[in-house]
Amino acid sequence: YDPDLHPFEVAREYTRAMNAVKMERIFARPFICGLDGHRDSVQCITKHSTQLSLLLSGSCDGEIKIWNVAQRVCQGTIPAHNGFVRGICVMPDGEAFYSVGNDKLIKRWTMNNYETPAMTIVGKHVFTSIDHHYKNPQYATSGETVSLWDEQRAQPLQTFKWGADSHARVKFNPIETTVLASCAADRSIILYDTRQSVPLRKITLRMNSSTLAWNPLEAFVFTTANEDYNLYSFDIRYLQRPFNIHKDHVAAVTDVDYSPTGKEFVSGSYDKTIRIFPSDKGHSRDIYHTKRMQHITCVQWTADNKYVISGSDEMCLRLWKAKASEKLGVTRNREAETLEYNDALKEKFSHFPKIKRIARQRHVPKHVYHAKREHKTIQDSQKRHEANARANSKPGSVPFVSERSKLVLEEEE
Amino acid sequence: MATRRTKKWLHVKERKSKFATRQATRSEILHVEEEGYIAPDTVDNEDERIVDLTQADIKSSVDIFSAQKRFDLQLPLYGPYHIDYTRNGRHLLLGGRKGHVAAFDWQTKKLHCELNVMEQINDVKWLHIETMYAVAQRQWTYIYDNQGVEVHCLKALDRSLHLEFLPYHFLLAATNEAGYLSYIDVSIGKKVAAYNTRIANGNGKCGTSVMCQNPSNAMIGLGHAGGVVTFWSPNQREPVVKMLAHKSTIRSVAVERTGTYMATSGVDAKLKIWDLRTYKCVNEYRTASTGASALTFSQKNLLAASYRDIVEIYKDLYDEESSSTELPRYLVHQCPNGSSIASIAFCPYEDVLGVGHDRGFVSLLVPGAGEPNFDALEANPYQTKKQRKHAEVKQLLDKIQPDMITLDNSVLSEIDRKAFVRKQDEKQKEFNFVKPKELIAKAEKKKGKIGKRLARKSQIHDAKLKEFLQQKQLKRQKTKK
Repeated sequence: YDPDLHPFEVAREYTRAMNAVKMERIFARPFICGLDGHRDSVQCITKHSTQLSLLLSGSCDGEIKIWNVAQRVCQGTIPAHNGFVRGICVMPDGEAFYSVGNDKLIKRWTMNNYETPAMTIVGKHVFTSIDHHYKNPQYATSGETVSLWDEQRAQPLQTFKWGADSHARVKFNPIETTVLASCAADRSIILYDTRQSVPLRKITLRMNSSTLAWNPLEAFVFTTANEDYNLYSFDIRYLQRPFNIHKDHVAAVTDVDYSPTGKEFVSGSYDKTIRIFPSDKGHSRDIYHTKRMQHITCVQWTADNKYVISGSDEMCLRLWKAKASEKLGVTRNREAETLEYNDALKEKFSHFPKIKRIARQRHVPKHVYHAKREHKTIQDSQKRHEANARANSKPGSVPFVSERSKLVLEEEE
Repeated sequence: MATRRTKKWLHVKERKSKFATRQATRSEILHVEEEGYIAPDTVDNEDERIVDLTQADIKSSVDIFSAQKRFDLQLPLYGPYHIDYTRNGRHLLLGGRKGHVAAFDWQTKKLHCELNVMEQINDVKWLHIETMYAVAQRQWTYIYDNQGVEVHCLKALDRSLHLEFLPYHFLLAATNEAGYLSYIDVSIGKKVAAYNTRIANGNGKCGTSVMCQNPSNAMIGLGHAGGVVTFWSPNQREPVVKMLAHKSTIRSVAVERTGTYMATSGVDAKLKIWDLRTYKCVNEYRTASTGASALTFSQKNLLAASYRDIVEIYKDLYDEESSSTELPRYLVHQCPNGSSIASIAFCPYEDVLGVGHDRGFVSLLVPGAGEPNFDALEANPYQTKKQRKHAEVKQLLDKIQPDMITLDNSVLSEIDRKAFVRKQDEKQKEFNFVKPKELIAKAEKKKGKIGKRLARKSQIHDAKLKEFLQQKQLKRQKTKK
């Protein structure tokens, strides 16, 4: 290889990087299709544990629909509950699934029988969500309390209680399978272990968390979607402060789900947008929105890492690409090489201002754009006040406090 | 501040780049050809000098395929011929002063087109591909297709004396009789810049036709009447570099392929070799009476110089140990009938020197002139039509914008310290609360004016950092109590 035969290396690579970034924006068409059929707003979505193309969604009129996403048809409708369907969870072996609703019932259905549930359990209070243990035949429900149930029993094995009067969500850890976490209505997040009879730890935040999601590849990481427009990623070994704050939404975040690689997660929020965040960064890498899509209630990332599904208030489920400019379908070898080369170029030149500006550019709905501007003004003015106070008072009296350490109000054991 | 994560990332990057260099060197197994020169049988034998070898001798001792590259074209009618080879060295363009233009594949002798433009021709130049070429005619510059069809008439390049094509930027540069240097972007047909070069010269009365291109950084070098050599970029009205090379008119300039050396020849019968990094004269030689009328470098750093009807090729010009002013001649050729030489050009990737003179064209064998192994992704002499089409598209996509032409190519790959410091200062003025960012420490160098300014700015930045750290310390002391 003679570098003299290839003059202007950096300039040519820069031009190629520029072209790559522009083409990425040209081909960024994330919306694939909408799945119509529900007659009330979609309340919860779950992906099937073993079959890639199956999706289960529950709506506010008590119906559960089973979708075949690959063929974009609804395979079956189950009139499951007499009120909202609050949560659905599929058993790890894929044979059956559970659903809970506003009518205080836990129903267990087998995959083929959509007429009658295999089992019905009457509970004492309204259940808000359900999640299945990843290994054992156990599941947990949240409502007034967090209860651990056995598949065969009609009474819960254990009931965890710590202060809060209602829990919004409960989620099992996919790797440390005995650990579960719940979001409680007293702005706290509580960690439990199924081997213990009392909850492990409780942290209180500034505002309520609507849900949380465990990282499928890092056992100790979970991300909560909070009502103060942010998402917080915690390490359960050090709950004093979140190790990352993900900011970009302009209204309460309603749902969050991790990608199967554990490197990214998708969050849907009340501000009618879906954002995809990298797990280690503080801002979103992409935003999906449509004029027709109203407040988003639930999001899921499909198990093949390629698609994101959102369910929203206007009775529609939408299928999006996880990478907006990805080419679906078979890519030939040369094409794949070129795409990889373009990715490498974009990463190499990502700090050049022109390229950064193009890569960052997204069309954002007007209400989000204006809200963000307003929030920025508010933040800037707060910082300015603090800086002025610091400049005009005794050195050290107004310390620099990081935002992360301000978040957790208290931690209890 | 290098955290563990960034250190790991850097480590991974280094490993990848080492792997890449190893793979690149491994690919050199694909280099089938070897380079070589004529070397004397016995060293320091006065009877046998390489310079005494004639083209006939060389032709008789090489194989048939190379021997057929030595040929004469007798075109006595249409005046001194300007020549140009395409980038891959496959096609040749001849332009006679009296209007005769011919484009052909000189290895297979297949003629693409031959026409008479009925006007005086000052220069001819291939564009990026062998399907288009530019002819600087008396009034305007025209672009022709390789079938001889006139495609464009560039009225922006009127009365051009000399053309140069910058292949990676798709810029056609032309010097004017009136002293203007114009750049035209050939891919979109837009005039990029036009500068009056007589300002640089001061006492120049008309434009100069002494022009060369620095292939490594796309600068156009002009030689002026007062002995001044100027380098121009399309981004600046003033010349980027202005150097006094000779004490008299400059007759020709040439820049070597890697952009480190420049050869200039003036009417004062001197040939000087300059180092373009330091702008100092490396070597100075004495030439025949009025200096070389044309100079050109080959890919392997042989220099060809033409004096009236003789062309001389020099080797080992940068040898700093030799202190003689005698030019190290390698080969010499005299054109028959004393016809004066108009232009010379080395053929890329071939050991061939093309000479255009009064009565036609001559192709000479010069062993060791061309680069033996070509990179087919850059320039492929054995291109098929389909490959040519694909290559053209790729070239157009990789076209570098003219505002990226700088004297120093490495600017793009370095950290822009000035902009960083400026941004920090701006932010500090706007909002008082900027958390000071650290800049990677640069190796200590001798500071010029800009360096001192930077140093002052970094002092201010250090002071702010110190204040921040002091506050942190205070806080820590407080918590200890």
